[in-house]
Amino acid sequence: MDWRRFGFIALIIIVLFSVVVFIGQVKQPPLLIITSMLATTIAVATPLTLGALSGVFCERAGVVNIGIEGMMLTSAFFGWLGAIYSYHIFGFGNWTSIILGVVFAVITGALMALLHAALSVTFKVDQIIGGTVINILAVGLTGFLNRQLFFGQGSVFGGNVPGSPGVLQTLHIIPLTELFAPICGASEICLRNIQAINRVFDQKPIALAAILLVFISHYILFNTRWGLRTRAVGEHPKAADTVGINVTKMRYANVIIGGMFAGLAGAYFTIESVPSFEPLLTNGRGFISLAAMIFGNWTPIGAWAAALVFGSSQAMLINMQIFRDVIPPQLAFLQESYIVGLTPYILTMFILTGIIGRTTPPAADGVPYEK
Amino acid sequence: MKKFYFVMALLIVASMILTACGTPAATEAPAATDAPAVTEAPAATEAPAATEAPAEVTQEDCVTEEVFCVGVVTDVGKVNDKSFNQSAWEGALKSQEDGVADLVQFIETADAKDYAKNIGTFGDAGFDVIVTVGFALGEATVAAAATYPDISFIGVDQFQAWEFDEDAANDVANVTGLGFPEDQAGFLVGALAAAMSESHKIGAVCGTDVVPPVWRFGEGYKAGAAYADGLNGTTTEVFVVYHSDVGFDKTFTDPEWGAQTATSMMDQGADAIFGCGGLTGNGAITAAAQAGKYAIGVDADQYLTLPEAAPRMLSSAMKLITPGVADLVAAAKDGSIKPGNFTGLAGYAPYHDLESEVPAEVNAMMEELNAALLDGSVTTNVPPVKP
Repeated sequence: MDWRRFGFIALIIIVLFSVVVFIGQVKQPPLLIITSMLATTIAVATPLTLGALSGVFCERAGVVNIGIEGMMLTSAFFGWLGAIYSYHIFGFGNWTSIILGVVFAVITGALMALLHAALSVTFKVDQIIGGTVINILAVGLTGFLNRQLFFGQGSVFGGNVPGSPGVLQTLHIIPLTELFAPICGASEICLRNIQAINRVFDQKPIALAAILLVFISHYILFNTRWGLRTRAVGEHPKAADTVGINVTKMRYANVIIGGMFAGLAGAYFTIESVPSFEPLLTNGRGFISLAAMIFGNWTPIGAWAAALVFGSSQAMLINMQIFRDVIPPQLAFLQESYIVGLTPYILTMFILTGIIGRTTPPAADGVPYEK
Repeated sequence: MKKFYFVMALLIVASMILTACGTPAATEAPAATDAPAVTEAPAATEAPAATEAPAEVTQEDCVTEEVFCVGVVTDVGKVNDKSFNQSAWEGALKSQEDGVADLVQFIETADAKDYAKNIGTFGDAGFDVIVTVGFALGEATVAAAATYPDISFIGVDQFQAWEFDEDAANDVANVTGLGFPEDQAGFLVGALAAAMSESHKIGAVCGTDVVPPVWRFGEGYKAGAAYADGLNGTTTEVFVVYHSDVGFDKTFTDPEWGAQTATSMMDQGADAIFGCGGLTGNGAITAAAQAGKYAIGVDADQYLTLPEAAPRMLSSAMKLITPGVADLVAAAKDGSIKPGNFTGLAGYAPYHDLESEVPAEVNAMMEELNAALLDGSVTTNVPPVKP
């Protein structure tokens, strides 16, 4: 574990939270601010985390993937399309349609990744160019199909975007309120606090899955034979080949796994967050998740921590505007939202300069393997 | 290696073609070829034409002085979109019912690059008034106005900046932009939200405040809440968050951000959320509706356009396009229309499913307030642009 890096990340998050609590405490109890921010942070970090995991799997196997953005966008579109078609055309129920939508998104991500794998492993294309192709393809494909299917002449839905079957609902997995209700008794404050804390744990399924997947990915990469082989292929493919590991197969498999993560991230946008698709709705989050991956030094937990930094800076931005009228004049510059908005990018640059420990990509990252 | 170059070339070409189709750019998209077909079809016959003139009026008659023809060019989408396009088309129909227009027709734009072509179709046919719907058609409208100096152009939601600059060379003699008092619309729903809120905390999630209409919606919302507080003796906290931290390309198209921001506000106790800012706002509205809070739409009656949020849609801050278009068409006929900016009316949408939840006294307050804003006895005190 890279404690220096984690310490730095934790410090940044604490600073961001403290500023908001300091400013907002005149209006809201600190506990409420912290839990609300934490909940926002986790939700906002979800697509970034999944995107970063996608990057970790690809790059650990030696394939640079800058096409995450495109994979997310395509999956968001096809996931949403799948849900709509299942619901309106094939007449499935709400929940079946929503779950089919998620499945569609993940499959789309896998297919896009298959394309990337074919380009970069079989055809040995420059992987940056391959990723760019995916990004451009995604913008065109989704924009074109979105228009043709929903607004074009003779579209099934007659030019109107149909109502979607809805979104994934918040899960109440940890029954904090129920557990503490007898302990709190009649104490109003105690109950309110428990409810506030509960807010952090009440997340939607993909957000919870993302956190779970971080730890599963960590375990797979660092504690299983599969993980060892993946890393071997990414660090020194020739050596891996010598001991009988099929480099091509490993790379294909990992890129496709990565694509499925990106697909799940896409599902987050159109099936978990809001039930609609808009052209370009991923808004560069795929690239931010790449930054998170580098920030986290190509490890799942590191990438998650970095995604949380990005998430908390967005949570701070939102709260700064909510508390706009109580910001003390000395801190008024924080209202200029782009200053806070820049934090993640400035931090990434700091990380890249190596101030808080070196960032080392897998040695064979981006290098096609030639026997 | 040869194979690889072939695949690469194929992919790049494919993605370029698709990109060109996906975004409004050059090249002939399949949809564009469909557009002329629409134009040729006399769409007006589909509409319930109120004034069946003794001799059937056709498009050919538009060139004559006696026949007053109104053409509506929609923004990308259909005239039954339950939003801007439909409202503008209904305005044209209303002018026909009122006996102002003899013939009304529409062209549904299938692709943003067809704006000029579609306007030109009406222009060449000798229409008397051409209504172009939506901010996006602004440039095409002004350009067409120079080509057809005898036609009156009405640009719905198109701000005519030339009216305020010094350079007379920019002036256009035959374009009237139909604008709306966004601050009044925001004021109305702000008052409603404040009156309906049980937690006395309400929120608004908006696009960037650099765009004056968005800022006016937000500030009007605050002012309206304060006004309702004054009437009811309550103190309502208003959270207004603008998505100003990103560029123009993203600020109105980030539903995920809108949903997160709305959720954040609801965490802090807000129980009514106003979404003002295109798709970003829609994200906020949907999130509020899903959480079972009051959702408030913008521009048109979003109860009709956002089925996901409809059950919790309290109202919408509306731009009243239909009467605005009808008024301007009438003004164009009697020659009283003035180039520049025309300010239409604002209003609020019906409560629909939540009708039973709105107490009679709140409804009375809203009706009173609406009337007071119209006759000017209540003002929002929101300046036109952010100081």
